[in-house]
Amino acid sequence: MKEAIIKSKNLTKKFPVGNGYFTALEDINLEIGKGEFLGLVGPSGSGKTTLLNIFGSLDVPSEGEATVMDKNVSQLSHGESAELRNKHIGFIFQSYNLLPVYTVYENVEFALLLQDKSTSERKKAVMDALEWVGLTDKVKSKPAQLSGGQSQRVAIARAMVKKPDILLADEPTANLDSENSHHILQTMVELNKELDTTFIFSTHDEKVMKYLRRMVHLKDGKIDKDQLITSL
Amino acid sequence: MIKFLFKGILRDRSRSLLPIIIVSIGVMLTIILSTFIKGILGDAIDMSANFMTGHVKVMTKAYAENNKQMPNDLCLLDVSKLKNELRQKYPKIDWAERIHFAGLLDVPDNNGETKAQGPTVGQAIDFLSSDSKEPERMNIQKSIVSGLMPAKNGDALLSDAFAKKLGLDIGNDFTLFSSTANGSMAFQNFTLAGTVSFGNSGLDKGSVLIDIVDAQRMLDMQDAAGELLGFFKDGQYHDESAETITKAFNTSYHNEGDEFSPIMFRLKEQNNLGSLLDQSKYMSFIMMSIFIFAMSIVLWNTGLLGGLRRYAEFGVRLALGEEKKHIFGTILIEALMIGIIGSGVGTCLGLAISLYLQEYGIDFSNELKNSSMMLPSVHRAKITSEAYYIGFIPGIIAIVLGNALSGIGIFKRQTAQLFKELEV
Repeated sequence: MKEAIIKSKNLTKKFPVGNGYFTALEDINLEIGKGEFLGLVGPSGSGKTTLLNIFGSLDVPSEGEATVMDKNVSQLSHGESAELRNKHIGFIFQSYNLLPVYTVYENVEFALLLQDKSTSERKKAVMDALEWVGLTDKVKSKPAQLSGGQSQRVAIARAMVKKPDILLADEPTANLDSENSHHILQTMVELNKELDTTFIFSTHDEKVMKYLRRMVHLKDGKIDKDQLITSL
Repeated sequence: MIKFLFKGILRDRSRSLLPIIIVSIGVMLTIILSTFIKGILGDAIDMSANFMTGHVKVMTKAYAENNKQMPNDLCLLDVSKLKNELRQKYPKIDWAERIHFAGLLDVPDNNGETKAQGPTVGQAIDFLSSDSKEPERMNIQKSIVSGLMPAKNGDALLSDAFAKKLGLDIGNDFTLFSSTANGSMAFQNFTLAGTVSFGNSGLDKGSVLIDIVDAQRMLDMQDAAGELLGFFKDGQYHDESAETITKAFNTSYHNEGDEFSPIMFRLKEQNNLGSLLDQSKYMSFIMMSIFIFAMSIVLWNTGLLGGLRRYAEFGVRLALGEEKKHIFGTILIEALMIGIIGSGVGTCLGLAISLYLQEYGIDFSNELKNSSMMLPSVHRAKITSEAYYIGFIPGIIAIVLGNALSGIGIFKRQTAQLFKELEV
């Protein structure tokens, strides 16, 4: 494994429920290296999304620690968390969440506006990103004019345009049919190879699992199995 | 980023249209009310100044104390001398003598017998001097309904309604009866040169206007006048200057023990015009405060609804690495843009309606039929330079305040719930 860019040590996450606590994650020890194509696999309620939240610096562990890009997420301020997400982490959501009033180009560009890049830099990066996902002919289209698969590809371009070190995808194929799922995953595999971005999926979709090179099985908030898959 | 936000506002009508409409309506109403009130109060003040009070007014102390009775026996004497002194001391002010009197107007038939008569209130001004600004000041030329301005001694103007009531036509003679400054009976014949309507029920009821020289002759007031009115040459009332001049004059001329010594009053000290002036000053502020408050509440709610609708967008932006305070900042920038657009639209609409009201006004003559207030019966708006920007204050403050209140919810949002919230 290459250098680890995400580490968790004795990570536990508890949520207050009534008078007690619900333990969503317990004693998670994990190291994820640069360029991995990894899935957090498990049934609903197993803690996949909670772990993804913590790796995305959207949440903090109750006990133990999580380090992302050498930064302990528990010790980051709101501003530092936002900066970490802005510079190093991309997100892909199950329901795409494109901004409906903006064009494909503008949706992808938005991520770069937060980085204060010049117009020419933004234009080049956006066109590159749209080329990766094969949507250069849709730059002026609005999200409502796109199919589900195209929308998710725009979401990938938006997440990848700033060339993040880590891409977190929560059930990215849940709303897509087999063919579109295949295209999306194929695109992600290619980007993973080309840009050496670490992809972390939260999924229980068999279609996704076929593409993973490492599967971390979660069960009742604990790591049940950490499985390396060599033949893709 | 500003360009990006601006595109969003233009394209997302549900985000911008309702707030722009609300701001536009509020701004429009602010401007209309502001110009209309300014117009009414301004007209009332100007009318009072031109017809009654001047910007400053000199009378004898005794005349001032009884001026409602028009006591010409207490008039100012040696007016020419006083006027010359004042001209030299205060070159920025024009001075004009006025005489008010009450009397009886008698209309004779062909045999010289009384055909009609009625009580009248008269005012004498300088009609005939070549350098007199009095006819222009009192807007007499434009107020003439029939006939012409007095062109020679013995000519008179009557209020149009009064002339009709008495059956007087242009060129007809009539006799004015009154009492002289010495208390004896006065009567003199006049020729009706024209009829006037000032658009003020008090002035239009039964008034007669004659030249000051005729009045001085008729009332035994040679080189005397009931009042000496001063008007700033630029036509505007300057309270601070008026106060300085008044204080200086009263120090030099007024003798507390002599009831015939002259005393000067400024406009603000007469006929409660001070409170009217203060009111006009605060009216815009009061209206703006009301509109800011009302619009802020509406826009707060609009912002809350808009915020709920844009929850997913804010979520994505948080996930992309935008800070909550930055999102809040962009909400305020958007509000500023909408405020500027709405205020611009509202200002244009407000100015257009105000312009109409300035040109045509609203006729309140029926309502003011029995009023003795110095108010024009057609109320008009007055567009001042203030009208071009005053609407932007409530427009922008209200929407920024409304959106700021609704945007506070961003800070209460749990970032950790992002994925759950976005799984629609």
